[in-house]
Amino acid sequence: MNPTLSELEAQASVERAAFGGDAHIVCDNLVRIYKTEGVEVVALQGLDLLIQRGELVAIVGASGSGKSTLLNVLSGLDVPTAGVARVAGMDLLAMTAKDRLRYRREVVGFIWQQTARNLLPYLTARENVELPMKLAGKARRGRALELLDLLGVGHSAGHGPAELSGGEQQRVAIAVALANSPQLILADEPTGELDSETSAQVFDALRKANRELGVTVVIVTHDPLVSEQVDRTIGIRDGRTSSETLRREDAEGRLVAEEYAVLDRVGRLQLPRDFMNALEMERRVRLELESDHIGVWPAREEPSHEQ
Amino acid sequence: MRILPLARAHLGTMAVLAVLTLSACLLVAGLPRLVQGSFDDALRESLRGAGASQVDLTVRVAANSREDDLIERAQFDSRDAEYRALLPGPLRPLVVPAGASTGHASAKTYDTPVRGSGGMRFVNLAWLSDADRRVRWIDGRAPGAPSTMAYEQATIPVFEVGVVDEARAKMGLRLGDVAIIGESHPAAVRIVGVFAATDPADRYWSHHGDVLRVTETQPPGKLDPERRTTALISDSGLAKLSGADRNLRYGWVLPVDPEAFSSLGTSEIATAITVFDRGVALRSVSVSTRTWLETHLPELLTAFSAAMATARTVMFLVLGGLLAVALGVIVLSVHLLTDRMDHSLALARARGGSLRQVAGAGTALTTCAVAPAALAGYALSFLIPGPVTWIVHAGPALVVVTAAGFAAARLALTHRAPLHERRDDVVTTRPSARRITLEALVVVLALAGAYLLRSRGLTAEGAGDDPFLLFVPIALTVAAALITIRCYPYPLRLLVRLAARRRPAVPFLGLTRAARARSGSVLPVLILLPALGVSVFASVISGGIADTQRLASWQNAGAPIRLTSAVELPPDAVERVRRVPGVELVVPAQTAQVQLGYGGERADAIAVDLDGWRRVLAGAPISVPAMPGVPSGVPALVSPELRGRGTIDVGWLRRAKVTERGVVSSVPGFFSGKPFLVLPFEVNERPSVNALLIKGDADPAAVLKASGSPRATVTTQAAELASIEGGPLTTTVRSVLLVTTIALAAYALVAVVVTLVIGAAERARALSFLRTLGLSDRQAQRLTVLEVLPMILITAVVGLALGLGLPAALGPGVDLSSYAGGVAVGEFDLDLVTPAFLAAGLAFAAVLGAYVHTAISRRRALGATLRVGELT
Repeated sequence: MNPTLSELEAQASVERAAFGGDAHIVCDNLVRIYKTEGVEVVALQGLDLLIQRGELVAIVGASGSGKSTLLNVLSGLDVPTAGVARVAGMDLLAMTAKDRLRYRREVVGFIWQQTARNLLPYLTARENVELPMKLAGKARRGRALELLDLLGVGHSAGHGPAELSGGEQQRVAIAVALANSPQLILADEPTGELDSETSAQVFDALRKANRELGVTVVIVTHDPLVSEQVDRTIGIRDGRTSSETLRREDAEGRLVAEEYAVLDRVGRLQLPRDFMNALEMERRVRLELESDHIGVWPAREEPSHEQ
Repeated sequence: MRILPLARAHLGTMAVLAVLTLSACLLVAGLPRLVQGSFDDALRESLRGAGASQVDLTVRVAANSREDDLIERAQFDSRDAEYRALLPGPLRPLVVPAGASTGHASAKTYDTPVRGSGGMRFVNLAWLSDADRRVRWIDGRAPGAPSTMAYEQATIPVFEVGVVDEARAKMGLRLGDVAIIGESHPAAVRIVGVFAATDPADRYWSHHGDVLRVTETQPPGKLDPERRTTALISDSGLAKLSGADRNLRYGWVLPVDPEAFSSLGTSEIATAITVFDRGVALRSVSVSTRTWLETHLPELLTAFSAAMATARTVMFLVLGGLLAVALGVIVLSVHLLTDRMDHSLALARARGGSLRQVAGAGTALTTCAVAPAALAGYALSFLIPGPVTWIVHAGPALVVVTAAGFAAARLALTHRAPLHERRDDVVTTRPSARRITLEALVVVLALAGAYLLRSRGLTAEGAGDDPFLLFVPIALTVAAALITIRCYPYPLRLLVRLAARRRPAVPFLGLTRAARARSGSVLPVLILLPALGVSVFASVISGGIADTQRLASWQNAGAPIRLTSAVELPPDAVERVRRVPGVELVVPAQTAQVQLGYGGERADAIAVDLDGWRRVLAGAPISVPAMPGVPSGVPALVSPELRGRGTIDVGWLRRAKVTERGVVSSVPGFFSGKPFLVLPFEVNERPSVNALLIKGDADPAAVLKASGSPRATVTTQAAELASIEGGPLTTTVRSVLLVTTIALAAYALVAVVVTLVIGAAERARALSFLRTLGLSDRQAQRLTVLEVLPMILITAVVGLALGLGLPAALGPGVDLSSYAGGVAVGEFDLDLVTPAFLAAGLAFAAVLGAYVHTAISRRRALGATLRVGELT
């Protein structure tokens, strides 16, 4: 039966639930284009991402896949060209400079890959942690030490970065990121310069922050081993989310990782490259709808082509 | 953000900045004081040399009726106070209090004839308020109260007077003589005393030259001269002196103190004098009397200002260049400091620092380095003698404001967005049409300005600074800098193309890097260009002044040693001088005033062996022309005033017909300006030698002694030069030019080094990268040198050309004669040695800096360098 005009009107006026609903981080069709000297580089090509509050998520991808760009956008250091990016309900595209400053002060904390870049060399660990609080104008006595203790580097509060090991430096950097009690921590390859043992310590620290302080943690890495340490791993390829790996405990308490492909809102799907190569899928495929799944078949060789 | 740890981390850069600021403030605040001080000294010297009657303010009252008469001293005193009360503000500090210095009051008659002298003798009467301390009585007594006597059926007053010693001899006046003076209202004078000045050399006597000396003038058609003297009367004599009877003038001298003058307020003083003049004129008591102000002070001040105007402009041009360069170098080091802080501030900005916090911290740090140093430099400048002008305060303030302002602006721009994606490696984009138009406009304006300045010359009557003269060199420098910045990559790219074809990689790489006009290379060009331009300009000017001073000294002396005598020098005296040790050559000369034709026309003449004189002048910057031969008669060289007369009949010791054979504008050591003749030595049958031109380094005193003439004077070229060089202006100007040149060279050097350091990280990364590809250390050094050198060389060449071209471009606008003993500094010889040395030294220092720089950066580990500052 055709709907009446009033029914259509009512349908149109009903506000559709926004994409991602009340997720902590929402990226919808996010585009970031760099322009230098007339050359355009599309770093993000319509990326979709949903992260819930309190999640510990890793974003993995090859070099140049756009993960650092994504992180810069999420940390409020960079403005996307188009799309939607919302963190804790704040629209990252529509923020004024003042909002952006408040966002960096209160909502987000971050950690860079280079240990030297995270800390000011001439300040002690404690002073480094106090710096963001002072910048925000709400220094709290003792908080710096609490954080350093929590992350297991309380003993080096009075030491300068030069006197700390790489792992300690990164843990202090996590403390710095946590200084203003942010809701979200972004870490760009935090273990990129560390050996595996030290990396584990740093991950412990991040996990601790996630569990004990309830902070959402997003880690960007191109190290696939990291995915073993987090609840969810999001793969990025060519500026778009391509896969997700979920880790959960099965009935026997074993950790099981399941990899999923990401289906976007308009139904696009990236097939893993090796799957495509194995079946020599190229240009077009055949889809068949079954009762509980969709089959993807290589295109049939058409006799008309032979002629 | 906390400043202290940040400061501790950048202590080195801050120290450099502080030292630069200190030196800049010291120079900027100190040199103007020095210059101003020397201007003041020159003004005071010129006022001291001018004579009290010209400098002092004299209020004169012409009294014509009895009611205007002042009959007692108290009246004079009250008038004096009255006139002083009229003095406008600017004059008050200059005028010496009553009774001190040359201040006094006087009453003087003029044109008072002695009866029966046929109008050939005059005895004027004068009362001087301070006669008791100005003269002493050498014969008779001081005059007393007047009496009366009967004369031609009338009772006339008899003034007791004292006359000057000279009047006794010249006018035949004796003690006890009584003379009747005045035609219509006769009076008698009785000479009761003879006086002489206590101190004849006192400046005071320039007011009353007629009192000390008998004035002799030659009236036309008379054989004897007319003689006048002024006799002094006593205080009580005043009562009988009336303006109704004779030409009487009262005078009040308000002496001004030359030491109280400053060259800054001359126009203000001139205005105040006009105001005072008007005020005084309004005090005239009645219609019959007239009151006016007599002084030559405004003329003196105007003449001084005119002479000083260009010189001052040139000085301030040089100092302005110094200020600009100093500011440039300071800005460059602020650039370095902000670069160094970049990491800290970027981190703080990313961690939630607001733009105000971040830029504020950086600016505060810059101010921490600059402000105390500026204060110290400002304080130190007070050790330098000289008056405090506004620029002394403004200069250091400008330095601090510029440094802090640049830091704030640069930091605000850099950290506007928290994550700054900078692409320093990208070649700058094509300049906009608007910018090119603007630059072309500046160039055209500068050239047009220079052309106008050349064709116009100076505003002759402008006593103040000529702003146009200041504008043109600045515009020319900016234009040259713009052209250099815009054009220097082009020849380099040509070289790059050539280098690309050749096998070695280093020239290609080095020149390619040099040809990429990065934003950082603009600032050094803007510093180096004026630095070199101004220092070369200063050295050219100072060289020109030195040459002209030497020339002027030779012009004044005419020979290494010149002996002139008022009386004839006998042949044996000449012979004695010849034998003085050190004397190599003696050329005798005769000088006199000669009669031209048979009328009253007179001219100076010198008879001398010009060939001999030329030998005396061998090696000197001046020479005398040769005397052309004539078939018959006496050849002569004449001054321009006597040009074109052909044959002149000259009456000297004998009459001679001389033939004009050439025109000369001056005779060194003797004449210039007035009409004169140069004749062969043999013009007189019996030479009457009264001047000797001596070559050699004999002792002037020995020469004088040997001449045996009591009225001879010796002038030496060395003494003339010393007196020109020793003038207050000359010494200061030369030392200021020297200090400026050294300071500019030092600043240029600092600019090169700071530029190298600013580019260090980027260059180190590039070199490390190339070294992983197989670049050797030697090649790395050559690469750095090749990268830095083209910019410095091109800037040095342009700066050199600018500095050499400025004097020519300013041309007639620059008159430095006041620094060179009055002789115009006309030709600036292109003495390339000093400027070229400056430019070459700078280039050498740059190369050295580049080598040192690579040597230091070599010590860094490759891996570390490649990772430092790597983004993302």
